[in-house]
Amino acid sequence: MSIYFKLVKALIASVEPTVQEKDRKKVFTRVMTFIAVFGIMLPMAFFVGIIIYWLTVQLMPSGAGQNAAELFLQLLSVFSFIFGLNVIFSVFYFSGDIENLLPLPLRPFQIIASKFTAALISESVMEFILIIAVFAGYIIASGVPFYAWLIAVFATLTLPIVPLAYCAVICMLVMLLTGFIKNKDTVNKLTGFLTFAVVIGLVAAVSTSGGLDAEHLVTALSDPHNALLGFLNAIFPHVHLVTSAMVNNTAVNLLFYLGINVLAVALFLLIAEAIYLPTAADVSRSASGRKTDLKKSMSVLRQHRPCVTYLKKEFRLLFRTPAYFMNCVLINLIWPLFLYLVYVLQGKTNFLESFIDNIHHGREETVLLFVLGVSAVSVLVTAANCIASSAITREGKHFAFMKYIPLSYMAQLNVKALVSILISGVGMIVYVIAAALYLGLGIKLTLLCVVISLLSVVFTTYFGIFMDSVNPKLVWDSELNALRGNYNIFFNMAIIMLLEALTCAGAYLAFCFTSIGALLLIVLLVIFLMVLVAVSYLLCTTKAVQNLDKLTG
Amino acid sequence: MIKLENVTKTYNKTVRAVDDISFEVKGGEIVGFIGPNGSGKTTTMKMITGIIKADVGKITVNGFNVRKEPLKAKESIGYIADSPDMFLRLKGTEFLDLIGDIYHVPTDKRQQRITSLAERFELSEALSSPMMSYSHGMRQKIMVVAALMHDPSVWILDEPMVGLDPKSAFELKQMMREHAKAGNTVFFSTHVLEVAEKLCDKVIIIKKGHLLFDGKLEELEAQNQTGSLEEIFLELTEK
Repeated sequence: MSIYFKLVKALIASVEPTVQEKDRKKVFTRVMTFIAVFGIMLPMAFFVGIIIYWLTVQLMPSGAGQNAAELFLQLLSVFSFIFGLNVIFSVFYFSGDIENLLPLPLRPFQIIASKFTAALISESVMEFILIIAVFAGYIIASGVPFYAWLIAVFATLTLPIVPLAYCAVICMLVMLLTGFIKNKDTVNKLTGFLTFAVVIGLVAAVSTSGGLDAEHLVTALSDPHNALLGFLNAIFPHVHLVTSAMVNNTAVNLLFYLGINVLAVALFLLIAEAIYLPTAADVSRSASGRKTDLKKSMSVLRQHRPCVTYLKKEFRLLFRTPAYFMNCVLINLIWPLFLYLVYVLQGKTNFLESFIDNIHHGREETVLLFVLGVSAVSVLVTAANCIASSAITREGKHFAFMKYIPLSYMAQLNVKALVSILISGVGMIVYVIAAALYLGLGIKLTLLCVVISLLSVVFTTYFGIFMDSVNPKLVWDSELNALRGNYNIFFNMAIIMLLEALTCAGAYLAFCFTSIGALLLIVLLVIFLMVLVAVSYLLCTTKAVQNLDKLTG
Repeated sequence: MIKLENVTKTYNKTVRAVDDISFEVKGGEIVGFIGPNGSGKTTTMKMITGIIKADVGKITVNGFNVRKEPLKAKESIGYIADSPDMFLRLKGTEFLDLIGDIYHVPTDKRQQRITSLAERFELSEALSSPMMSYSHGMRQKIMVVAALMHDPSVWILDEPMVGLDPKSAFELKQMMREHAKAGNTVFFSTHVLEVAEKLCDKVIIIKKGHLLFDGKLEELEAQNQTGSLEEIFLELTEK
């Protein structure tokens, strides 16, 4: 048994980042973890607990008290399953440790069980906080006896087992029967698109059911034949059993809950013993790609200008690296979805209708707010996609390449800026034109919006590159870690957003408290943004170039 | 030709990685740069290629000052870094095309040069695959092809034999000889003393940032009557 625990400990350590960072960075990581737990997770858990409490109180009279908690736990199980794909593939197939474990005198069962436990712990730490919050809201609202708390603690630790066991079995069957998952990139893309699909599905469901207002939700959840809940209960029956065990005071439900968990783990172990080790060994051996004729390979070579080919390289790396694609590229396409989600979640407010109406009537204040919004969103999206503010960081261990090739630092930084401007700018222009057409803005105003959007993107881009050049995070062990916990990105966003907030607030206050008209303010905004572009360009092409020259990599 | 004059590099104002070293690698020479781990070999090579800035001293490559005319100096260098794990998400051809464009290699010359190098290093069938799928040795081979594709007159190779199979190592050693014979410069670091012994016209031995020896092997053997290069090296570096 001690071997099992030691293996679990070693495997968890191999899932977590292993970069040797300086003490200062360790302190920073601890502070960020503290902020993540106490500043984000705990308030979120508290909020979830309050919602579950309120919904449970509303649902109790109709005898459907447990439905709110059940639905939330089911949705957690769905996300647990999706994110589990990534963890299972990482721990079971792409951790690179199987070739070291196989020669050791270990039973297959020990390797498989310890890997499953490591995956469970890695994936569920944050999830535990949300699960306990759901149970707390539910138990307090339904007034169930004290022993329910004991069940809740037990259930918190065991609820993620079934989704992860499903996930593990599916992963192994996929690896056994298909050959399409050859590296972690494919897994990252798969989980990214699944998450995206589920979020789209949820938004569509909420949107078509008339919004997410409380009254509507209570009505839907009190329906004993709620289709979504019924469907999820069929897939994850253990959730219904454990919530029922609390409220109905039946040991039978708890025993069934235990039975399902044991059955899931037993089935997983049985299947894993039969198919895991051979498929894992295959993955570590299947490194070589397809072979092609040399003549055919040579036919694609063409001479281009160095900057053109450098630009192509930047695009290829951004689009082919899943962590960069998801965080830097995709965000430019999907941000309107988040805006729409916020709008839908507001329920029956008629903000958009009145906004459109005001635009149609040419109300200066609304037009000015729209234009300021265009600038703010352009700045926010460009800073959030961090293409610019991670431009040097992304070079990582091949940073030296930037230094030894005969291409000036200024040219390289300008190409990196162009990548950010093209990706952020094209997305923004398409959405700005679409919004302008939808709102019926005139050609002049539409053009002004496009110019303002582009200037905001260019300014944010050059400033972002300058910020990254000050102290790029060049030591990272995975592309995701290059972006995650990178305080250049965080500080760049903070500074840029503060500057943009002051600009927008200044323009709006000038409109409210002086006699300057909206159109003149918009023209002044264009001039101000041009100054910012010039300043940030100078910063990038002088200071950032000097910073790059000093960096040793 | 590579020339270092009184070059010093200190990290974090405390660790003196290279301390006032001067040496010259002339055209037509193969010079082995040897020293224990952490002796300053890679730092020196990185200063020559422009990756690291020297605190003090002057470095020239083919007469171009690395600080004052960096692009001209870099254009004449073919550099193989100590790690071949670079741009692994690019295909072999995409990486070589990038290098070809940066060093202004015309299409026909690029195709001809890559074909010849790929055949010598048995890389032909792998060029269209992403470099992520390559073994360590194949990655090292493509770095060699990339470094030599623009036919640079100065080769700076940091541990170039690591990961190469015997045939590829043999080919590279042959190419080093051919390159030096044509009047060009080859400067490489290695831990394999037999390679240095068989290949080099000159060796430079460095320890803790100080030059211990700079000269022909015969001179080294004459100075130290201990025996093999391995024994001389151990005696010099363990003093």
